[in-house]
Amino acid sequence: MSPRWQSLIRLLGVQASWTYERMSGIGLAHAAAPLLRDLFRDHSPERRRAAVARSAEYFNSHPYLAGVAVGAVVKAEYEDVPSLTISRLRTALSGPLGALGDQLIWAGEVPALMGLSLASVPLLGWWAVPVLLVIHNVLRLRLTLWGLDLGLREGLKVGAALEQSWLPRVAGLAQRLAAFAVGFGTIVVAGWLLDGRSDATRLGVAGIAVAGLLLLLSVATRTRVTGIRYGLVLIGLSLLVIGGLQ
Amino acid sequence: MSIALIAALLLWGTFVAVDLVTVPQGLFSRPLVSATVANAMAGDVSAGLLAGVVLELYALEVMPIGASRYPDWGPAAMAAGATAALVPGAGRIGVAGLIALPLALVGGWSMLVHRRRTARAITGMLDRVAAGDARAVWHLQREGLWRDTLRGVVLSTLGVVMIGVAGLVPWTSIEHLGLLDVAVLGGGLAAALGGAIRSAGSGARRRWLAVGAAAGLVVVLWR
Repeated sequence: MSPRWQSLIRLLGVQASWTYERMSGIGLAHAAAPLLRDLFRDHSPERRRAAVARSAEYFNSHPYLAGVAVGAVVKAEYEDVPSLTISRLRTALSGPLGALGDQLIWAGEVPALMGLSLASVPLLGWWAVPVLLVIHNVLRLRLTLWGLDLGLREGLKVGAALEQSWLPRVAGLAQRLAAFAVGFGTIVVAGWLLDGRSDATRLGVAGIAVAGLLLLLSVATRTRVTGIRYGLVLIGLSLLVIGGLQ
Repeated sequence: MSIALIAALLLWGTFVAVDLVTVPQGLFSRPLVSATVANAMAGDVSAGLLAGVVLELYALEVMPIGASRYPDWGPAAMAAGATAALVPGAGRIGVAGLIALPLALVGGWSMLVHRRRTARAITGMLDRVAAGDARAVWHLQREGLWRDTLRGVVLSTLGVVMIGVAGLVPWTSIEHLGLLDVAVLGGGLAAALGGAIRSAGSGARRRWLAVGAAAGLVVVLWR
């Protein structure tokens, strides 16, 4: 297997030793290792060790875009760029790769896909699940490979290349699509779940949802109330009522 | 529950726990996926799909962004999906929530413990890492994977025990179990919409959210 593919496979587990102190620094070094090994085959082991040590320093990015940094750092090592410049490159990439990835994936693609999957359940049934998995994983692999190749091609110029790429534009679009899909999917699936239920049940669900929304969004309570906490309180209360009615 | 089914659920629960952060982060840990597959293993897809859809509403509120704290829905939804099949008719959604919500919180807490242990392991090998020892880096990654796998095994075992306990409850003899459905579904809708409104901010995304909700309403009324 070529070092590029080895690196891609390792990028799938880039967060295996994620910590608050180093974030995904260790994972980045692990993903860069096959490329560095190939690169420094004819050099002294000291140079390779220094490159591995630099790769393992603190680094934060979205996991799907970590390949951009791996590729850029490896290219910079190949071009014998001074170590201080490589460290600066990592620091400079940390923020944008984290922010862009969060916008594109966690606030964009994932909620968009989940919202559309929820909306498709009444139509597709369980087929919505494999469709969702195939679409996400194909996109994810392509994005990771694209990032790795971009980094390997651009090296120190990867920041500018990233800025001029499709990524920032699509990140904005993905977030809008996500907002639409979550709104659409939630209402469609609510209609599906309440289909055939009594008016009292529908009214009860609507009342609980509105009360929850007020608690989740009100300035006074929104820092303490989360959906899961609200759900747990509701479960506790309903168990008490059910027990009392027995 | 047969031994083969227990083993399959444990394996699936562990896989989805590891999928959340460690590898491969392929959305297998989403409740919609985890609950549906778990229920399919038990020979019925519909109850798991129902449980997965409702739990997905809760999961949509918080995305698993790096340093933030978030519940681990994978093993929780596995247990909820398999349990949902044990409850006939009314109460299915509610029991899924009863099983999954606490277990998801425990899963989120276990992630913090896992990260603290990983930090300790890195501190112990810091000299070798700083010296550029690629084997130390590989060792830390492998250890992190195993530690997360162990976390998944513990959570899945807890989930399977909860399925076993749920199997002992005479659900059909409990009256008004539908109230639990109302509570869990209402809470899920509030979580999904509340999370969406909060993350949409005040600009174009909030407008897109409103358009999406309106389009959804049209579809529901049309059906």
